Amino acid sequence: MIQALILLTMGLPWLGGLAVWLTTNKHPRAQHTLAVVFAVATGSAALLLLPYASATPAIVIPLGGLFGDLTFTPDGLSVFLAIIATVVGSLAVIFSVNYMHGDKQLGRYYELVLLFIGAMAGLALTGSLLFLFVFWEVTAFCSFALIAFNNDDPKAVAGGIKALIITSLGGVGLLSGALIIYAQTGSYQIAAFLERAETLPKEVLALVAFGFLIAAAAKSAQFPFQTWLPDAMEAPTPVSALIHAATMVNAGVYLLARFFPAFEGVAGWTTAVMIVGLLSALLAGLMALVATDLKRALAYSTVSQLGYMVYAIGAGGVYASQFHLLSHAVFKALLFLAAGAVIHGVGTRDMRQMGGLGSRMPFTRTVFVIGALALAGIPIFNGFWSKELILEAGLHEGSLWAYGVAFFCAGLTALYTLRMVYLVFFGKPRSHLHAHDAQPAMKVSLGLLALGSVTTWLLAGPLSELLKSTLPFHEFHELRTGGMIQEVITQPATLAALAVIVAGGLLWWQRQRLTGLTRMLQGLARMATNSFGFEAINRGVIRVTQSTAEALRVTQTGLLSWNVAGIAIGLIVVLILLAWGK
Amino acid sequence: MTTLQIAVIGVLGLIGIGLYGLLIARNLIKVIVALQVLVKGALLALVAAGLASGKLNLGQSLAVMVIVVDTVVAVIGLALALQVKRRMGTLDIKDLSTLKK
Repeated sequence: MIQALILLTMGLPWLGGLAVWLTTNKHPRAQHTLAVVFAVATGSAALLLLPYASATPAIVIPLGGLFGDLTFTPDGLSVFLAIIATVVGSLAVIFSVNYMHGDKQLGRYYELVLLFIGAMAGLALTGSLLFLFVFWEVTAFCSFALIAFNNDDPKAVAGGIKALIITSLGGVGLLSGALIIYAQTGSYQIAAFLERAETLPKEVLALVAFGFLIAAAAKSAQFPFQTWLPDAMEAPTPVSALIHAATMVNAGVYLLARFFPAFEGVAGWTTAVMIVGLLSALLAGLMALVATDLKRALAYSTVSQLGYMVYAIGAGGVYASQFHLLSHAVFKALLFLAAGAVIHGVGTRDMRQMGGLGSRMPFTRTVFVIGALALAGIPIFNGFWSKELILEAGLHEGSLWAYGVAFFCAGLTALYTLRMVYLVFFGKPRSHLHAHDAQPAMKVSLGLLALGSVTTWLLAGPLSELLKSTLPFHEFHELRTGGMIQEVITQPATLAALAVIVAGGLLWWQRQRLTGLTRMLQGLARMATNSFGFEAINRGVIRVTQSTAEALRVTQTGLLSWNVAGIAIGLIVVLILLAWGK
Repeated sequence: MTTLQIAVIGVLGLIGIGLYGLLIARNLIKVIVALQVLVKGALLALVAAGLASGKLNLGQSLAVMVIVVDTVVAVIGLALALQVKRRMGTLDIKDLSTLKK
């Protein structure tokens, strides 16, 4: 049963992609229907996995030799991430029915989205490091191809290539870590590595730990790689919601959480993780404050919230980070899809041209405000509980300065969220935009996600139990939903955090009186718009990669003689190596 | 000098000549001839390997099969060369390559 469910969770979206391709672009209605049916079926299969969660591998396929076993282990963390990927995936596909209506290349769009959903489920469920890397790269490819979906727009293509190069750079860290682990333990199995991690030499473990940190930072758009995510916003909005807010960018956080027990003891690793998370949270929060493009502002906020999760892992709060991952996936997917409804309705992404849209799109306004309140961390919404848990974990484990920065970021989040909501939906209209409210399929996705933003925190207890019972190497404390409510409400830190959040919000209402302060901060704002110089570094990396590729182009002559020379030289090298090996 | 040593020298010689031919030849017919020489080297290697491992029968039967397949390759290669000459008017592989243009 469980084997079938795992295969369905990964196989259904791929079959769906194939089916959409076979229907061809001449039948867009059939393509929409097929994509929705397969995506929803995948989500259901993943949800059915829940009761079967266990730490033992459910599927073992021996591949022999260097490749080891291809295993799938449906433990708590895996099933949890697979469910997020497939459920948010199916909601994004439902949303696409309206959003992508009339697109000429619908087939390519749905194929890539479904391929991504399957690969993401595989990434979550596999127990083999080698195949973790394979799925990791497949998701990176889908991300690239979907960012560059409008491939006659040079900005979209540049954004796609940027994302591909930066995330591949992280992939190198993951692959080298995996190969080092294989060389040391003789197996790619994650469970085997976690079990034997303490017996490995310290330097080797440190090498792997920092390699994985680089991989996670590149994938989750963390400092210093954070600049690819805003440029990825050229993708169609449901893709931004699915890949660049709710699922793929979580893979980095998942990787850190998965290997936390092994790397916990590595000197300086937890501090490095905390610093990476906090710097991302802080810098991206400031950038979100000055962004004028609605989707870019949301992207910066994603980087900032992912920074929170990474910080929580550094502070030892693996559970808090995963709980925030759940909350964030729901409310950020909601915000992105609502932003998509706005963009679809008015035809621009520039917040300076919006304003006063609330009265003309009441449904979109309502759900966007719900998502925004969850993001800001207002009580009752899911973002509040998970953020409090992270702050609490930071207070207990991490150092005080780190806690202070995280605290400040909480206020910052409230400030930029309010600014965003105000600029889009309230105030006076700043230009004559023709606006229409969300369409039926959009409303289904938005409504379900809005419901989730208010209720998913009730899952705190069950999630804790699931993780505790199926992850043998992690340490989790028992946490019941009722207990969490009590704990959070009675903590004085909660009140302080709430005060900061409210203060952040109030700061926006009082912005006219703060002109003096704003002028003082203008230099900072200018630096923030330029991504604090990291944009230049990332651009440099991309330029080096592309010019190297251009330089290597001369080797591709297409002439037989050169190719034969290459073969002959390769043969000689192999023979020398063989002789040397003896 | 044993039979095996002679055979190995022959193999190296044939493969060397074949590779050299592939490296320098620009005429498509010459390329096919060089390829044939190369494959003959591989054939001899099969038989030599059979001799060395004591399974001469296996090596010889494999060699016979490769001879048959290789003949087909040569025939198709020459036929293609003929078509290339008819359609493109040249047999120079440097002129035929379009990858760099």
